[in-house]
Amino acid sequence: MRVELEAAYVLHARAYRETSLLLEAFSLQHGRVGLVARGVRGARSRTRALLQPFQPVLLSWRGGGELATLSGVEAAGPALALQGERLLGGLYANELLLTLVARDDAQPALFAHYQALCAALAAGTPIEVALRVFERDLLDALGYRLLLAQAADGSPLQAALRYRYVADEGAHPASGVDDGVPVAGASLLALGRGELADAAARADAKRLLRAQLERLLNGRRLRTRELARALLGGARGEPATSSIPEGAHRR
Amino acid sequence: MEALRCLPGVGPKSASRMAFHLVERDRVGAERLAHALLAAAEGVRHCRRCRNLSEAELCSVCADPARDASLLCVVETPADVLAIEQATGFRGQYFVLMGRLSPLDGIGPSELGLDRLEARLDEGQVRELILATNPTVEGEATAHYLAMLARERGIRSTRIAHGVPMGGELEYIDGGTLAHAFSGRREV
Repeated sequence: MRVELEAAYVLHARAYRETSLLLEAFSLQHGRVGLVARGVRGARSRTRALLQPFQPVLLSWRGGGELATLSGVEAAGPALALQGERLLGGLYANELLLTLVARDDAQPALFAHYQALCAALAAGTPIEVALRVFERDLLDALGYRLLLAQAADGSPLQAALRYRYVADEGAHPASGVDDGVPVAGASLLALGRGELADAAARADAKRLLRAQLERLLNGRRLRTRELARALLGGARGEPATSSIPEGAHRR
Repeated sequence: MEALRCLPGVGPKSASRMAFHLVERDRVGAERLAHALLAAAEGVRHCRRCRNLSEAELCSVCADPARDASLLCVVETPADVLAIEQATGFRGQYFVLMGRLSPLDGIGPSELGLDRLEARLDEGQVRELILATNPTVEGEATAHYLAMLARERGIRSTRIAHGVPMGGELEYIDGGTLAHAFSGRREV
């Protein structure tokens, strides 16, 4: 199989043998692919800088199966200058894609959401909001769409009511059930619109999305989460809120 | 011949050429090589202070009283120390990470042994932490993490500049590097 100039992002690159890289890339038409880039780590390599995460690229490759061979790379736009916590947020999204999206499963809609996330992180959208919206869209693309306009019984969600969100069913009025994630109606509606303006909505959205992602992760640990936690745990005096949902509560 | 193949980039053909050369033409060189390898394999370890490779408990940089202990340069590998020593007039000390933070490969702060660096910073001698990790995504994440450790202790941290290589031509430079060079421009 030959693929020419396919829009893609490198999610992760690791050194392979003396001068090569093993890449995990996320492409528009072919989903997540594993590629080996031969001879790109040398001192004279011109392509090394392009094979970094958060750089939109056009990739060409040939071969199929587990690992295809990269045959060309061109820049498709300027690299996103993500720094500090924004960089960690981007790495977190990459880890989610690496963990939850299967290889060779075309996800054009998810690709667009990932692109939007990268743009939002680079543009200075609050990191928490950008990540929550991406998590919502990721669940949607994987077939676990959250119901954010209607309650489980089909009636419209009321902003003023409290609900409990039960996986696979939707939001039940808080008085009716014991399980599920407690959330405010206003928070569910805000997440649906992608505008998490106040702290309460952000906290609700984080808890809700974390619970849903935990089900898909099935006990697997996210290392970027742990790094973000170590960073915030270590940096005393910093506000102790991570935009990346943590696996377990601290304290 | 089989033993030589443990070297990177040495296949059966090169291994046999090296073996014949050593045995037929340069027995003295072969013995020197054998002694040097044995001494290195037995004697080289990590410096207690900076974790660079060293034959003694303390490497020559850490043991040198003329080096400025208030400047601490953090690099990823021993090869980076060598490159900086050869190319710059840096007179401070080093800390070698022996890797970089790479959460997607499962390498976090504890796997890197950053507690050793924190202990070094807590000693109170360091005034400036120079972050010389590679300009890759993982290197940047590592630099950010280390900068937070330094800030927490009121230590100034600086990041090495990235830009156009000497003798280079702008036309042939990749966009990312050029963008970095542009945003990091300074007054002349």
